[in-house]
Amino acid sequence: MSTKDINKKTKILAIASPGGHWIQLNKICNPLDKQFDIVYVTPGAQYASAGKSARKVLTITDASADSKRKLIPLAFQLLSIFIKEKPKAIISTGAAPGAIAFLIAKALPIKTIWVDSIANVSQLSRSGRMVQKHADKVITQWEPLSDGKKVIYKGSIL
Amino acid sequence: MIFVAVGTQFPFNRLIEYMDAWAADHNEEVIAQISDGDYTPKHMKWERFLDGEQYNKNIAEASMFVSHAGMGNIISAREQQTPIIVMNRQFALGEHRNDHQAEGLKWMGKLKGVLTASNQEELFAQIHTIQSSNFSQMVCPSMTVGNDHLSNYIADFINE
Repeated sequence: MSTKDINKKTKILAIASPGGHWIQLNKICNPLDKQFDIVYVTPGAQYASAGKSARKVLTITDASADSKRKLIPLAFQLLSIFIKEKPKAIISTGAAPGAIAFLIAKALPIKTIWVDSIANVSQLSRSGRMVQKHADKVITQWEPLSDGKKVIYKGSIL
Repeated sequence: MIFVAVGTQFPFNRLIEYMDAWAADHNEEVIAQISDGDYTPKHMKWERFLDGEQYNKNIAEASMFVSHAGMGNIISAREQQTPIIVMNRQFALGEHRNDHQAEGLKWMGKLKGVLTASNQEELFAQIHTIQSSNFSQMVCPSMTVGNDHLSNYIADFINE
């Protein structure tokens, strides 16, 4: 595919922490790959784009709500990615870096879609609760956690 | 054939020892991926690591998949429609950096086609459950419907 064709597709960012969050993000985004130009963003350096890899993976600083000192560099990294990539939407499965991205995106014309991790069966994850009021869509993978309005259920990755 | 896999990050000797003991007592082929564990099986075929293609082939051909409680293996099992038993690593035994695999059993056990065990007795009982029941009835007929539905919903929302 030529660069020109890629440019015709709507660009979206997909953000997740390493491990289970990353696996879930990939399951959700793989079917979207034909339709969108997806840029992946993760604090997991092991997933960074290598040479010929067709996928674009950007590495960011890891930070949790407990590591406030790292929040400022992370916020600047995310803001510069948003300015450079100009995504129409952001998808995240968590955890904290995804939530922080959503809080920054709130000030920009970017749609935010939170898919809470399947590991959270009895209540939304901590980061999910953090973005609940700010995200354009909050999706749970467990039907009982849906209230049919703000927190919706549309199936799961499994 | 039963396929056993412990992932690539850490060894999981306990699971391999349990399955080796099971294989010693049963007339069934068992193949194990053991990572860099120092217990080497005597009654199972084994490899430390497998390439992705062979790994998925083993899952597809197995009558059941016995695994550490890792999300990646649950996804692979369901893609191949193979019933899976997951056993958690324990932080207290030095098997992982934390106890999230024990937490994981709570949601994993809610999925169709996924059984959970946290010790040898439960593991052997779950193997027996799969062998003695028509387990195909417990496995979702199509594993990807929920995932496609979710992805399509997100695509529609972005395009709105």
